[in-house]
Amino acid sequence: MLSIKGLKVAVDGKEILKGIDLEVQPGETHAIMGPNGSGKSTLAHVLAGRDGYEVTAGTVTFEGMDLLGLPPEERARQGLFLAMQYPVELPGVNSMSFLRASLNAVRKARGEPEMDAAAFLRLVREKAQLVDLDPSLLKRSVNSGFSGGEKKRSEILQMALLEPRLAILDETDSGLDIDALRVVATGVNGLRSPHRAMVVVTHYQRLLDYIEPDRVHVLGGGLILRSGGKALALELEDRGYGWILEEAAA
Amino acid sequence: MSTQSPSSERYRELLARQLAGRPDRGPEWLEAYRVAAVQRLDQLEMPERRQEAWRYTSIEPLLQPELEPVSEPEVPPTLAEIEALLLPETEGIRLVLVNGRYAPGLSNLSRAGSAEVQSLGEALRARGGEAARLLGSLAGPGDHAFGALNAALAQDGALVRIPRDVSAEHPIEVLHLAVPSKGGQVAQPRHLVIVEPGARAVLVERFLALGSPLYFNNLVCEVLVGQSAQLIHQRLQAESPNALHLSQLHIRLEEGSQYRGLTVALGAAWSRTELKVRFGAPGGECLLDGLYMAGDRQLVDVHLDVDHAVPGCASRTRFRGILDGQGRAVLDGRVLVRKHAQKTNAHLSNANLMLSRGAEIDTKPQLEIFADDVQCGHGTTVGQLDPDALFYLRARGLGETEARRMLSLGFAAEVLDCVSVAGLRDQAVALLEQRLDCSPRARAEEVE
Repeated sequence: MLSIKGLKVAVDGKEILKGIDLEVQPGETHAIMGPNGSGKSTLAHVLAGRDGYEVTAGTVTFEGMDLLGLPPEERARQGLFLAMQYPVELPGVNSMSFLRASLNAVRKARGEPEMDAAAFLRLVREKAQLVDLDPSLLKRSVNSGFSGGEKKRSEILQMALLEPRLAILDETDSGLDIDALRVVATGVNGLRSPHRAMVVVTHYQRLLDYIEPDRVHVLGGGLILRSGGKALALELEDRGYGWILEEAAA
Repeated sequence: MSTQSPSSERYRELLARQLAGRPDRGPEWLEAYRVAAVQRLDQLEMPERRQEAWRYTSIEPLLQPELEPVSEPEVPPTLAEIEALLLPETEGIRLVLVNGRYAPGLSNLSRAGSAEVQSLGEALRARGGEAARLLGSLAGPGDHAFGALNAALAQDGALVRIPRDVSAEHPIEVLHLAVPSKGGQVAQPRHLVIVEPGARAVLVERFLALGSPLYFNNLVCEVLVGQSAQLIHQRLQAESPNALHLSQLHIRLEEGSQYRGLTVALGAAWSRTELKVRFGAPGGECLLDGLYMAGDRQLVDVHLDVDHAVPGCASRTRFRGILDGQGRAVLDGRVLVRKHAQKTNAHLSNANLMLSRGAEIDTKPQLEIFADDVQCGHGTTVGQLDPDALFYLRARGLGETEARRMLSLGFAAEVLDCVSVAGLRDQAVALLEQRLDCSPRARAEEVE
């Protein structure tokens, strides 16, 4: 589904990713772990098409398409979703209008008819329940005045609405207390399916207690230093990142 | 035009042409007022950029030789055309001015109930109306040449009187409609709005055009809000793209009264709105909101003059602007708190969204405070669309044009959400959406 080969990315002339290779198959959940500054978020942003990153080498294909050649909206329409680490507040932008415009843009690309207001309202209510988000929050502007946990739940709500084929969760656990983490993880797990892949970017192993990965990759200094099964995450929990970085340096 | 006479010559010609079309003879006091205005016009200098009030705005576009006094429209609008424009909330109650002249056949004042809405021209001709005698009580013979010109020629417009303790049941509309006529023309509409003590009303004022005629709408509007009275005044300036528009609003608030004014300025090639607020007694509250948008070949100017000369009054002024293409805007806001105006609460803010590199804003909020026990503040921002917000929307499948439009509308929403007359708000939103869709960038994307 997702195939990253030899990806090198620079920001302001400084190389951040130095040759990433990663294969993700439908139905799989991959965890990308690593210390601060290892390039985790850069990878997530490059996949979603954010400005300000220069791809200097390598390829990324998603469902056979050259992902790097597509603008961000086209990636979203083709089924890629990035749950952001810091969802922005959009004052004055009505939540329901935004969600409906987003869903209809994606539905149109899938060749599905636009959803009318009544059907959409029912769908949003149902999905909001899934992430335990108070539907009255959706009467506000997008993310405006939301708590950290509400913002993250709103991201998962959007993911549930858009039903992406590949979801990238960028530090979705950051800033969440344990109860909020459980709710978000339950929401995410409810979306796991044999046709959908997930890439979970996280600093801490904690999230992986709730979202169990098939594969774990450790990113350090812009490279994947080690890949393994979920046992690798537990080993990191015990031993920290130091030993992997040292081994890589040796 | 290769050989053009100097501005001052064309200015004198403009005045002479306008003054040649003398208004109907009115009662003696009115004639005296007009004579005083003509004299004032002689004394006043031509507005020029070396004067502070006109520093950012040239009156050059107003000096076009094509501009003649009002003549009959080539094709008068039909009742059906008017009815198609009406807002559901007003229940059809409207005073219609076509090219600045009262159009009785297109107006409907029969359902205004206890609110008195009539043509100012008819009231002046009837000579009985005491209310009309308040004409000029706030505006005087004019602060500058165009105010004086209006005073010298004032003969038509709306006279609205809400009697003591009456709450007008429905919003009252004054609809300014411009239709094509021979050449360009200058209209001098004049309104007098009197909200008597304890009375309440909602006044809607719209400036619309059929087609895209050239004209200069030179409006003066005096608003007297009596003790404990309230006026909500919501205005939509959607003039023809070739129009020139100058609105001077003079507002006076008595004890415990409230004026809530809102102006949305989207149309005209050249427009200027002047808001002059005076407090007669403590406890007055004046809330002024505004939204302006300027694109290619467009200038929008807003001038504020809020004078706190008595203690215990509040003013809150909040204007937002969207600038696109080569558009230009000016916001010159002066709030004065005089020495004896203790316990004044005065806030002035102006936020501008620049959608292009070629757009220009001159914003000059001034707060002059001479009292020591006051709560005052002002703030100005000039910014662009937030790249993080744009990325967020695009990452959710919205195209760049739609994302920009959604964020720009979001920026405007803080003001547009204050439009309490839903039909007016919907129209303002629709017009703004149209404007955003026609922005140079949106059009360039369409071609791609």
